[in-house]
Amino acid sequence: MHLHYTPEQEAFRAEVRAWMEAHVPKEPLVTLECKEGFDQHVEWERTLASGNWGMVTWPEAYGGRGLDLIQWLIFEEEYFRAGGPNRANQNGIFLLGPTIMEFGTEEQKKRFLTPMAKGEVIWAQAWSEPGAGSDMAAISSKAIRDGDHYVITGQKTWSSRAAFADWGFGIFRTDPESKRHKGLTFILFDLNTPGITRRPIRQLHGDTGFAELFFDEVRVPVENCLAGEGEGWNVAMATAGFERGLMLRSPGRFQVTAKRLVELYRKHEAEAAPSAREAVLQAWMAAQAYAYNTYAVAAKIMAGGKIGAEASLNKIFWSELDRSMHRTAMQLLGAHAELKRFDNGSVNQWLEGYIFSLSGPIYAGSNEVQRNITAERLLGLPRVGAG
Amino acid sequence: MDFRFTEDQLTLTESVRDYLAGTHGPEVLRRLDAATEQGNAPRDPAIWQGLVDMGLTALLVPEEHGGLGLGLVDAALIAAECGRACLAEPLVDTAFVGVPWLLAQGKSDQLAAIAAGEVKLPLPHAINPWTADGEGAAVQSVDPLRVLTQGSGPDDPHLLNLGALMSTAQLVGLADAMLAQATEYAKIRTQFGQPIGAFQAIKHQLASCAVAIEFAKPVVWRAAAAMQDGIASAPIHVSHAKVAATDAAMQTAETAIQVHGAMGYTYEVDLHFWMKRSWALAGAWGSRAFHLKRVDEAVLSGTLEIGPQSTFA
Repeated sequence: MHLHYTPEQEAFRAEVRAWMEAHVPKEPLVTLECKEGFDQHVEWERTLASGNWGMVTWPEAYGGRGLDLIQWLIFEEEYFRAGGPNRANQNGIFLLGPTIMEFGTEEQKKRFLTPMAKGEVIWAQAWSEPGAGSDMAAISSKAIRDGDHYVITGQKTWSSRAAFADWGFGIFRTDPESKRHKGLTFILFDLNTPGITRRPIRQLHGDTGFAELFFDEVRVPVENCLAGEGEGWNVAMATAGFERGLMLRSPGRFQVTAKRLVELYRKHEAEAAPSAREAVLQAWMAAQAYAYNTYAVAAKIMAGGKIGAEASLNKIFWSELDRSMHRTAMQLLGAHAELKRFDNGSVNQWLEGYIFSLSGPIYAGSNEVQRNITAERLLGLPRVGAG
Repeated sequence: MDFRFTEDQLTLTESVRDYLAGTHGPEVLRRLDAATEQGNAPRDPAIWQGLVDMGLTALLVPEEHGGLGLGLVDAALIAAECGRACLAEPLVDTAFVGVPWLLAQGKSDQLAAIAAGEVKLPLPHAINPWTADGEGAAVQSVDPLRVLTQGSGPDDPHLLNLGALMSTAQLVGLADAMLAQATEYAKIRTQFGQPIGAFQAIKHQLASCAVAIEFAKPVVWRAAAAMQDGIASAPIHVSHAKVAATDAAMQTAETAIQVHGAMGYTYEVDLHFWMKRSWALAGAWGSRAFHLKRVDEAVLSGTLEIGPQSTFA
């Protein structure tokens, strides 16, 4: 246990800090969930790419810097310290990218990773279906082999970024006779392929962060399949592991929220209840605990370990932490909490953050499912209901 | 930057865990408890000698005094195992709190005797209204295996931090053990035609305990490393660990008794030993409120640098 940065790591931090201070937009971007904001965020992805910061852990051959996970954490800390915008391509760089790195052919890595790192192709996820939410093995959208193509028919929903993104990924039933986890295949597809209809869904806040996707005999080349026909469930579980376990929500995000919460508390200290004070301290303590745990997970992976079912513990923790921090802020704000903009014209980011935090315990596998996974796979309690 | 234990640390921890699991099971706790009913102290020289033979009393004693010269991170790992086994002998106080405190004072005259297991150190401190395993009039603890005597001591800040740190390590070990006991019970107790552990109402409560423990542990290890490295903010991290470990242990204790149902409320089920030790250590060496206040003073007054760039400040 060596909890000090090396001089090289400190120098790297200084490099990231200087670049971020020079490049992060001074004014917050318009929300990623509308066309105007999406375009601003894509522009930011390309600015990041101009500094070669798209995805620092990837090999240089695929648009990265070949850095390790500790450097990635340092990058993320500095990114959030500087107030860096949400990543328009998070479905790509944090979920699909690591999956392609693990399961993709050399050809697929070359074809997909570099444009992803450079922000040239923005990715949407397409997991859920109307009948397959928490129960993802109930997927029924079909991809039937026809020569060197799959013909996809069916429907996906809650597809993050799909309203505006370029490409999507998801799992489809390639064996129409198969049931549950078998006969599924992980397929990447151009969202502009003929036969795909996107219907944006208005979210709680009124904007369109996700969409429904309708597939009507959509022809996708066989080479867009990842890791072979029938391997979809295993690949998707690996993607979900990256999502829940390490990459999707790096600790800097929550540490900066905790710091803002401390500052908000100081402003409202005179009228705040003692319970708010404790909630603020809890926020700082939990964000720190999450950071320590992430450093431990990163060190484990760097030593050749893997993320298993403990990724579920992680997902439960950060999503519930995010919600409680924003709830505390809303309580501190009192009558200002409902305002979309404050008197000085600035966007009420606590309100936006609170609304977004309510999705955390639902997306990436609901926390009820995560608690089942924890109980069954980590504690060994009997499984029920699942086939 | 490497938030991992060394192979040596993991090997040592595993060997202590195996040793205690093999020699210090619930039947030993019940035997010690029965001794108190005969008016004897719940202590057993054979158990103590076993710990001495394992080298545990010598763990932090420098090599020139016959010890192993290991550090507080090693000790915290072993203290967690002592919690897991609900060990009652004063190993943690003597060897993991007392020894580093003596070393910090530059006092070396007792070290060889401690390493050899000949001396047990009572550690009176102003924060505790009692002294564990001391001399003097007995005070009764809810934990039947704790030996408390009247008498407090001076307000030594380093001793407080060491005592608090090692109580947090024991608390996460206790929490692990209580979660394991409740989980095992949920697998075997059948109602409505199935093990109660198949019900999500049970699963989700136990999963929540697993979350609390998972995220308390790294705080404890970080605090141990901070104390070992002697960084200026170490007391804040000890206090953070005390809050996190207390919360995890209390939540797990309450969940574990609930999962056991009426059985959990009996003296017959072993859970109560772990639960009572948790209550005791939650209050010892500074309560949750005391330590939360120290975190408060650092975080809200601005003496500690906070934010994403300050993870290890």
